[in-house]
Amino acid sequence: MIELYLRLLDRVLTPLLLLIGVVLLLRGHDAPGGGFIAALMVSAAIALQILSNGARLVRARIGRALQPLIATGLLLGVGSALLGVFTGQGFFAGIWWSIHWGPIDYKIGTPVLFDLGVFLAVTGATIAFMLGLSTNVIETTDEPRLGKRPVQHAAQPARRGEEAQ
Amino acid sequence: MTTIVLGLLVATLLATGSYMVMRRGQIKLILGLGLLTHGVNLMLFGSGALLRGATPIFKDKDNFAQELATRAFADPLPQALILTAIVISFGLTAFIVVLVSRRDALTGSDLVPGELARYINAQDPFHTAGGQDISEVLFSDASDDYDILQFELDEIYDRKEPLPVDATDTTVESSTAE
Amino acid sequence: MLELLQSIPFQPTWLALPVALPMAAAGLLLAVARLGFRQRFRLQRWIAGVVAGIHVLLALLILAHTLAGDEGARIVYQMGSWPAPFGITLIADSFTAIMLLMTALLVVAVVPYAAGTLDHHRESMGFYPLTLLLLMGMNGAYLAGDLFNLYVFFEVLLTSSFVLLTLGGTPGQINGGIRYVVLNLMASLVFLSAAGVAYGTLGTLNMAQMAQRMDIAPDAVRILLAGLMLVAFGSKAGLFPLFFWLPASYHTPHPVVTALFGGTLTKVGVYTLFRLFPLFFPGLLVAWQPLILTIAALTMLISVLAAFVQPTIRRLISFDIISQVGFMLLALGIALDPRAPVTGFALAAGIIFIVHNMLVKTALLMGGGVAELEMGSGNLGAIGGLAAKRPYLAGLFFVAAFSLAGIPPSSGFVSKLSLLQATIGVHQYWMAAVSLLVSLLTMMVMIRLWQYIFWGEFTTGHAQWTPLRKPWASWLTLGPITVLVALSLTMGIFFRPVLHVAQKAANQVLDRTGYIAAVAPLADVPVEPEFWEPPQ
Repeated sequence: MIELYLRLLDRVLTPLLLLIGVVLLLRGHDAPGGGFIAALMVSAAIALQILSNGARLVRARIGRALQPLIATGLLLGVGSALLGVFTGQGFFAGIWWSIHWGPIDYKIGTPVLFDLGVFLAVTGATIAFMLGLSTNVIETTDEPRLGKRPVQHAAQPARRGEEAQ
Repeated sequence: MTTIVLGLLVATLLATGSYMVMRRGQIKLILGLGLLTHGVNLMLFGSGALLRGATPIFKDKDNFAQELATRAFADPLPQALILTAIVISFGLTAFIVVLVSRRDALTGSDLVPGELARYINAQDPFHTAGGQDISEVLFSDASDDYDILQFELDEIYDRKEPLPVDATDTTVESSTAE
Repeated sequence: MLELLQSIPFQPTWLALPVALPMAAAGLLLAVARLGFRQRFRLQRWIAGVVAGIHVLLALLILAHTLAGDEGARIVYQMGSWPAPFGITLIADSFTAIMLLMTALLVVAVVPYAAGTLDHHRESMGFYPLTLLLLMGMNGAYLAGDLFNLYVFFEVLLTSSFVLLTLGGTPGQINGGIRYVVLNLMASLVFLSAAGVAYGTLGTLNMAQMAQRMDIAPDAVRILLAGLMLVAFGSKAGLFPLFFWLPASYHTPHPVVTALFGGTLTKVGVYTLFRLFPLFFPGLLVAWQPLILTIAALTMLISVLAAFVQPTIRRLISFDIISQVGFMLLALGIALDPRAPVTGFALAAGIIFIVHNMLVKTALLMGGGVAELEMGSGNLGAIGGLAAKRPYLAGLFFVAAFSLAGIPPSSGFVSKLSLLQATIGVHQYWMAAVSLLVSLLTMMVMIRLWQYIFWGEFTTGHAQWTPLRKPWASWLTLGPITVLVALSLTMGIFFRPVLHVAQKAANQVLDRTGYIAAVAPLADVPVEPEFWEPPQ
C-alpha cells in the first residue's frame, strides 16, 4: 500500500519537476543547465511516480516508449553534428537561427538539438534502469537460453552433495 | 593550504574507496567505487588552479574581454572534464547496481556474497573441496561451468525460494570442523 | 588498386564518419526494434552488416590516403573548425587506418556468425546495436587526438562491452560481469587520474602539445605519467600482473561475444600503448626497456603455462590471448633500441603481429564456439571426436591453430619470424629464447586443444543447438571463419607488401615531429617552463 502523503506530494512535485526540467533544457546552451541535468530532473519526476504509483503502473504507461526515446536521442545527437557537414562548416560546427515571434525571442541551433538528443537518450536510459531496479527481475524477463531450443538435460550431472552421500 | 587540504581529501577518499572495494559486501563494493570516482574527480578539480569566488562565467557577454582583464577566472576545462567523468561514472554505477541486484534476485536474496561464492566455488573445477584430486575434478563431467550454471539457472527458476548451500563441500565449514 | 583508391578524393571531414556512422546506425537499429518480431532481426542483421561493410571501404580509403608518398601522410580533422589545443582533434595515420580496417573486418565477420548462432532472446536484447556502439568506441579510441576524448571513447567501448558480456544474464555471466566491470572501472580511474595529472602539470590534454611539452617537463612528471599510463593500458591490454579480469570473464558470455572481444578489446589497449609511449616517452622507452621486457616475458610464459591446465575451450584460448599480448609488448620494448640496424623494424613486426593475432584469434574463438555449441559443452574432458562428424570445421580449426603456433606458410610464421629477427637484431638473446620457447609451448597447447575437441571417439555432452545441421546456418557460421583463415594464409604467402605497409606505419608512429607538425597546436599558447612550479 502506497502512503497517502507520497501520492499527495507527487501531485504537486511531478509537474514542478517536469517544468524545471524543460526550463533547464531550453536555457542550457549558454546558461547553467543543459540536456543531462534536465534529463535527471525528468527522471526524478518519474522516480517519484514509481515510488508513489508503483513500478508496474509506470512500466505499463511509458515502458514501451523508452527504447524509441533512446533511439531518437542518439539519432538527434548524430544528426545535429552532421548538419554542419552538409552546410560545409564541418562536423559538430555550431549553426544558429533566431526566432522572433511576438514576445518570444529565442535562439535555436545545433547545440540545442544536441542537448535535446542527450536529454532524450539519458531520460530513456535512466528510466529503464530505474524500472529494471524496482521490479522483480526474474518475473519480468524471459528465460535466457544458450541455444535456440529449450535445453534438454538428458543426463543431468550428479550434484556434488549427492555424490558424497 | 587549500591544495594540501584537497590532497588529503583525495587521499582519504581513495584509501577509503579501495578498502570498501576489497570488502565482500555488494553494497560496499558499489559505495567503494563511488568513493573512488569522487576521489579521482576531486583530483581532476584540483588540476586546474584553485581560485575562490572566480567563476568561469561571463556576466556581460558583449565585452567579455574587459571582464577577463579585470577579474580572476577559474579554469573551466577541469570542470567540463569532471562533468563528463561524473556522467560516465553515473552510468556505470547504475549498471553495476543492476548487475548486483540481478545477482541477488537470481540466487536468492538470503545469500550473502560469501555464501554465494562458496556455492559457485563448489562448481568451480579448481576448487579442491574435500581433499579431491585436482585431475579428478578437472576432467569430471561436473566441471563445465557453462552447463552447470545453465542447469542451476533452470533449477533456480523452478524453485522460487532461496537456494540451500551444500554443507558437505565447503572449505570454510570443513576447516571449522577440524 | 592503391592508385585507384588514392584517386578517390578524401575530405578530412570524413574522418568523423567512423564515429558518427555506427552511432547513427545504432540509433536506427534501436528504432527498427519496434517493428514486427520476425522483421526486426533481419533488418538489424542487414543494417549492421552493411554499416560494417561501409567501414571496411572507408578504412581502405583512409589507408590508401595515409600511405601516399614516400613517408606516408597524416589526415587531421579539427572538429567544428576549432584550432588544435582548444577543439577536438581527430588524427589518422597508417597504423590507425590498419587498426580501423581490421576492426571493421572483424565486425563484418562477426555479424553473420551471430546471425547463425545467436538465440532470438539475445538478438532481441540488442546484440547488433551494442556491437555497433562497441565499434564506435574502438574507432574513436583509434582516431582520438587528445587524452580526454581517448578516455571518453574507452568508456564508450567498455560500457557497450559490459552490456554485451552480460547479455542473457545467466548467473555465470553476471558473476564474470561484475569482476570485469569493477576491474576495468578501476583501470579507467587510473587513466582518468593520469589525465588529471597531465592537465595539472603540462596544462594541456592535446596529445601533440603534450608531446611538445613533455620534452621540457621534469623527470618526475614524465615518470609519474608513464607509470600511470602503463598501469591503466596494461590492465586493458592484459599484461602480466593485471590480466586477471580477462580469464575470469571471457568464458562466460555467448561464444559470439567472446570471439568479438578476444579479437578486438585487448588490442585497443595495445594500440594505445604503441601510440602513446613512442610519442610521449621516447627516452623512457629506452630507459625502462628491462622492465618492459620483463613484463613481456612474464606475460608470455605464465599465461601459456596456465593455458595448459585449463579445462574448457574458451578458458584455454583466453589465457592464450594474454600470452600473445606479451609478444606485442616485446615489440614495443625493443622499438627504440639504439642498436637496431633498421629503425622501426621492431615496431613494424609488432604491427604485423597485432594484425595476424586479430585474424587468427577471432577465427579460433569462432571455431571453438561452434564446436562448443555442436557438442553442448566446452569441457575438454567430456567432449571429443568431432572431426568424424564435421571434417571441414576440424580442418579450419587445425589451420587456425597452427597459424597461431607459427607454422609456415601462415601469417603466424612470418610475424613471429620478423619479430624474432628484430629481437636478435638488438642483441636481446634472452627474449629471443623466451619467445621461441613460448611459441613451442603454444604449439603444444594448440595440439592438445585440437586433439581434445576433434580426435578420438565421438563423445558429447548434451547437444542443445547445432548450428551446422542446417545448411544456411552452417554457411553463416563457417563462412566467416573460412574468410579469416584464408586472410591469414594470404598474409603469410604475400608477405612483402604487408611488410612494406607495416614498415611505413611504424615509421609514422615513431615520427614525433611529423605528428606534432600535422596537428599544429597553436603557437601563441606559450610553453611556459615554470608551469610545474606551484602557483604563487
